[in-house]
Order: sequence, then structure tokens, then C-alpha cells
Amino acid sequence: MLLRDLFSTASKAVTVNRMRSLLTMLGIIIGVGAVVLMTGVGKSIEGVILGQIDFMGPKTMAIFPGNDGPEGGSTTMRPDFDALTFDDAEAIDELTTVTSIAPVVFVPGDARYGREKADPRIIGSSPEYYLNQNIETSKGRFHDAKDEESSNYVAVIGSEIADDLFFGRSAVGKRIELADRKFTVIGVLKPVGMVFFQNIDDRIIIPLSTAVNMTGRSHADMFTLQSTNGFEIAFADVRALLRQRHGITVPEDGSTDNDDFLVRSAAQAEQILGTVSISLTVFITMIAGISLFVGGIGIMNIMLVSVTERTREIGLRKAVGAKRRDILLQILIESVFLTLLGGLIGIAIGIGIDFLLAKTIEKFLAEYQFAISIGAIFLALAMATITGIAFGIYPARKASKLHPIEALRYE
Amino acid sequence: MPSTNHSNGLNGNGNSTLIETRKLCKSYFNDELETPVLFDIDLTINKNEFIAIMGPSGSGKSTLMHILGFLDHHTGGEYLFHGKHAQEMDEDTLAKVRATRVSFVFQAFNLLPRASVLQNVMLPLIYHPTIPASERLERTKKAIEAVDLTDHSDYLSNQLSGGQKQRVAIARALVTEPEVIFADEPTGNLDSTSGIQVMQALQELHSNGHTIILVTHEQATADHADRIIELFDGRITKDTNKFKTRKAKRENSLKK
Ligand SMILES: Nc1ncnc2c1ncn2[C@@H]1O[C@H](COP(=O)(O)OP(=O)(O)OP(=O)(O)O)[C@@H](O)[C@H]1O
Ligand SMILES: [Mg+2]
Repeated sequence: MLLRDLFSTASKAVTVNRMRSLLTMLGIIIGVGAVVLMTGVGKSIEGVILGQIDFMGPKTMAIFPGNDGPEGGSTTMRPDFDALTFDDAEAIDELTTVTSIAPVVFVPGDARYGREKADPRIIGSSPEYYLNQNIETSKGRFHDAKDEESSNYVAVIGSEIADDLFFGRSAVGKRIELADRKFTVIGVLKPVGMVFFQNIDDRIIIPLSTAVNMTGRSHADMFTLQSTNGFEIAFADVRALLRQRHGITVPEDGSTDNDDFLVRSAAQAEQILGTVSISLTVFITMIAGISLFVGGIGIMNIMLVSVTERTREIGLRKAVGAKRRDILLQILIESVFLTLLGGLIGIAIGIGIDFLLAKTIEKFLAEYQFAISIGAIFLALAMATITGIAFGIYPARKASKLHPIEALRYE
Repeated sequence: MPSTNHSNGLNGNGNSTLIETRKLCKSYFNDELETPVLFDIDLTINKNEFIAIMGPSGSGKSTLMHILGFLDHHTGGEYLFHGKHAQEMDEDTLAKVRATRVSFVFQAFNLLPRASVLQNVMLPLIYHPTIPASERLERTKKAIEAVDLTDHSDYLSNQLSGGQKQRVAIARALVTEPEVIFADEPTGNLDSTSGIQVMQALQELHSNGHTIILVTHEQATADHADRIIELFDGRITKDTNKFKTRKAKRENSLKK
């Protein structure tokens, strides 16, 4: 018997009972569809986050006062903690692996313009901050070293603040009130939207010296810095320097338990993302496994019914010369045909929903791009085929062993 | 169709044995309970014979046919086909014999439902080990023509009358050009006109060199055959050969 005959026989059997075939395939369709959809969505989200990491720049690092806590404990970042001094910043700036550093002081308070009010995050930092954070203006300019020297009351405002206070009218040159002090707007930032699920268009940047004057603080709430190539090397340098300056003894196990500062980087976030996507993959694989198993039982059930229903037909095929192998392959191919077709329908539906979802989310989050995981699709197809074989083999063997005359007598 | 030289002179001469049984027995077993059906069947069938098996209901006619047609196993004695022992054949060999050398026409037609006449007749060819796929359609059409159903090739099997169905079954039986065609009451479910058509088809196969073995209840049908074997309670009670008797009669009359 030719392979072609097997395929045409199997496809006829599947298409004769369309509704039943479809219902049988439902488990496989849902399983494969869910896997394709979820891996696609996962890939899209990954794309968004990677884009943001890219946006921040892979060489960007931040240092916070606080401690990771003992092994497995929670991280504590304390803005009021006085671990990071401006002298520390100058010392770090001397490191050859660090290209620029900008200490940050947060200033509490709101923003007003006439009767309009906004609730910004006011950030006092040096001009290097713009570079470190990849910030661009849409109008006006950044503050510079001169503003820093003379502690000018100038502000660079985020696009959302500009919208809230000026409703699209020109903001540059206007006088606004920040924490009850008068500032001149010198620049408006380009809108960027969400970065790491945080809106950053609501910030206002003022000179560091001005912020220090306003708050009277002698410590930074955080440092942002840019490293040369490898962030791991800069990481180690900064850590060693700060430990030495703060007189910290490193425990024997080399842990960060005694540190009074935390070092973070975008690249680190990328590593965390990697771990997250691995656990996501495990989760999806489990879902796929379970639904394919359940779908497989459905297939086996229907194949058994279909073999019983066609006992006479199988008897006849044997009577006209079909070998055991011919019948076995026929039923097996029929079962694989069902799972594979289910898989293909599932893939089509999964991609379809993934696409519609992407089109919808795109309206709110421009960085969200439609994506599918080709690997997951091939894996799903392979799993569907294996399911078809695994759950088809028993009905197929049963059919192939039928005795021609007994099968023909079957009522 | 093969054009084996048809010569009645060969019949009964015993020089081209096709089928031979020696003390062939058959019992059915249901839950250890033995039902003996055939007893000590001794039978020799030559190529190109036309045999009718007759006997009352339950005498074992179908059982014998199934065994001779390799659809069932005997439980005692010997069955030799072309001198080869049937009990020594494995599953694949049996399948090959069914595909190439014998074929069956069932009383209940046993056509594939929801399949066309063409597809039904073509079915044995897809299991045939040597006929190439490229010849299938041509052979199928020829077989359908032989039973005069060319106009109905595309009809589904459930759109046919009983007589037409049985002719489809005959076309299916002859499409592989087997040596022997077994027909178990091929006219049993048909009216007399359809029955005559079916018998004509079988007669033609016989004259083309095929060996025909059929089961029937009707004397009129049996009269088409050259040899009539009668079964009673699982034993052969009578075996008459027209030509032998004619020959004997002729010889007798010559003697006189
Ligand atoms: N599968 C079976 N199990 C047990 N006994 C059976 C089986 N098949 C047939 N028999 C018995 O074998 C005997 C012969 O049956 P068979 O079908 O060969 O008779 P038949 O001569 O063809 O009769 P009919 O003319 O009615 O078709 C019957 O007594 C029947 O009851
Ligand atoms: Mg019978």
C-alpha cells in the first residue's frame, strides 16, 4: 500500500465526520493555541522591556543607599539614608571604568502655574544626568554647569507636566512654582511613556546645587552613572571603592551583607528578565503538556469509537488483502492527521488572537510589537504529532488485529 | 482479462489441481465450548472449474468457503493451495494470497458506504503488491465495464439497487484478476432478473479462465455450474460433475 493511499484514506475518514473531528481536535486546538498565544505575548513583552533597557542604555548603572538584606531577604532602598555622600560621587568619578556620574536628590513638593497644579517628581541632579538617562528635549535646553555653579532656579519639565500646566502652549521662559519657589522653565522633555512600567514623563529636573540649597541635604538619594564597556568590571570597581571609603569589612563568603549601598544596572535587569522568561517557558510547557495529554485521551477515545464503528470496513479491507501493517498505519495516520490538523488550527487561532491583542495594546503602549515564537510553533506541532502517535497506537493495533470474518460479521 | 485457453476437456482430468483438502475439519470455539461444523472434508478442485456448493441452512457452506478463501482457519486436517499448506502461511502471506489469488463475493455485498462504485471496485488494488498505481484506474474501469455498470461509476454505493450492488461486488472481486472467485449466495438477496444478470457475469468470468466456487440454494443457479457439491451437517454427501456424467453417459451409450 502506498503512502499516498494511506493519506487519502485517512483524510477521507477525518473529513466524512467533520463535526466530530473538530470536537475531537478541540483539546489539541486549545492547547496549541494557548501555547502559541502565550509565547507570542511573552515575546512581545520581552521586546518592550528589552527596548526599555536599550533606551536606558546597557551601560547605565545606579547606586542606592541601603542593603540587599541577608540571603533571600528583601531589598531595602532608603532615600533618607545618608550612606552616599557627594564626596563619594567625586571619588567614583575618578574611576577609569566610570565615564560619568550624576548624584540625585529628590525634592518633595508640587508644581504650579497660575491656577494649574501638577504632581511631579522633582529631581535635583547635575547636567551629566541627561546623558546618563538618555534624555532628549523637544523644546529649549538642559541646564548646564553655569546654572549649577550659580544655583539657578531653572527647571527642565517632562512632557506630561508641560501638558498639565500649559495645555500645549509654549512653556519655555514661563515662571512656575516648585515647592513654593519660583523657577524659570528652560526646556521641555520629549515624551517617552512607560519605562519599566513606570511613567517618567512626570519628572522635573533642576540643578543639583539648587536642590541641595532647597532641602539642606548633604547626601544623595542615588547616583546614576555610565560605565565603560563591561558593567561587571565597573560594578566591582564601584563596590570596592565604596566599601573602602565606608570602612566596610566584607564577610568571608564575599556577600554584600555588610554593605550600605546597592548597585543596579539595566544589564542586570536583562538577566532577571532571562530568569523570568525561563519560568514562563516552563509554565507554558506544562500547560501545553496537560492540554495535549487531555486532547490525546479525547483522540484515543474517538479513534476507538471509530475503529469499532468501522469494524466491518476493516474486515472488508483485510478480506481484499490489507496487511496488518496497512490497517495499523491507516488508523495511526488518521489519528496523527487529527492532532496535526488540530495543531495547525490551534496555531492559526493563536496567531490570530496574538495579532488582535497586539493591535489593541499597541494603541496604549507603542513599543508593544506583534511577535510570534517560531520555536514554540514547531515544538507545538511536534508535540501534536507525538500525541497523535502515542494515543493512536492502541486503537490502531486493536484494528490491525481484527480477524477478517469476525470483523465482517460484526453488527 | 486473462485469456487462459478455455477448454472443458481439462475439467475433471485432475491434472492442474488448485485446491486440495484432506480430512479438513472446522470447529468454532466459544468460551471453551466446541461447536464442530465441518467433518473430514476431502475435496480436490482444479483450475477453471465452476462449482456450486449446495446444502441446507447451517450445513457449513459459508464456513467451508471462508476457509477455502483464506478468510478463516481450519482446525483439523489439511488445506493445500497450489500444493502449499495453508496452516504454514503467516499473516502477511495470507494477506498477499487474499490480495492476489482469491477474492470473495459476499451475500451481504459488503461495499464501503459513502464511497462511489469506482472507489469500491478500486479498493483491492490499493492493497495489491504488484499492480502499479498507474494501472489502477484503467483496470477498475475495465472491471466495471465487465459487469455493465460504466454508467453508474460515480454513484455512491447506497444509491444502487441490490442487483447493482452485487455486480459492484463482482467487479471488485475480479479487478485483481484472481485465480479463484468465491461467491457466497451472490443471488440470495436478489430478484430473478438481477440474479440472472449476476450469474451471467460469473459465467463470463468462468469462460475467461477463472475458477468459480459459489454457494446457492437454488437449483436453477446451481445448473450454471459444471460440478455440484452437496453438504449436509458438515459432510460432503454428493459430488456430481456434469461433464463426467455426460461423458459416462456417452461412453455408456457408445458401449450399448
Ligand atoms: N462464529 C460462530 N460461532 C459458532 N458457531 C458458528 C459460527 N459461525 C457459524 N456457526 C455455526 O456453524 C454452522 C454452519 O454455519 P454456516 O454459516 O457455515 O452455514 P451455512 O451452510 O452457510 O448456512 P446458510 O445457508 O444459512 O448460510 C451453523 O450451525 C452455525 O450455527
Ligand atoms: Mg451461509
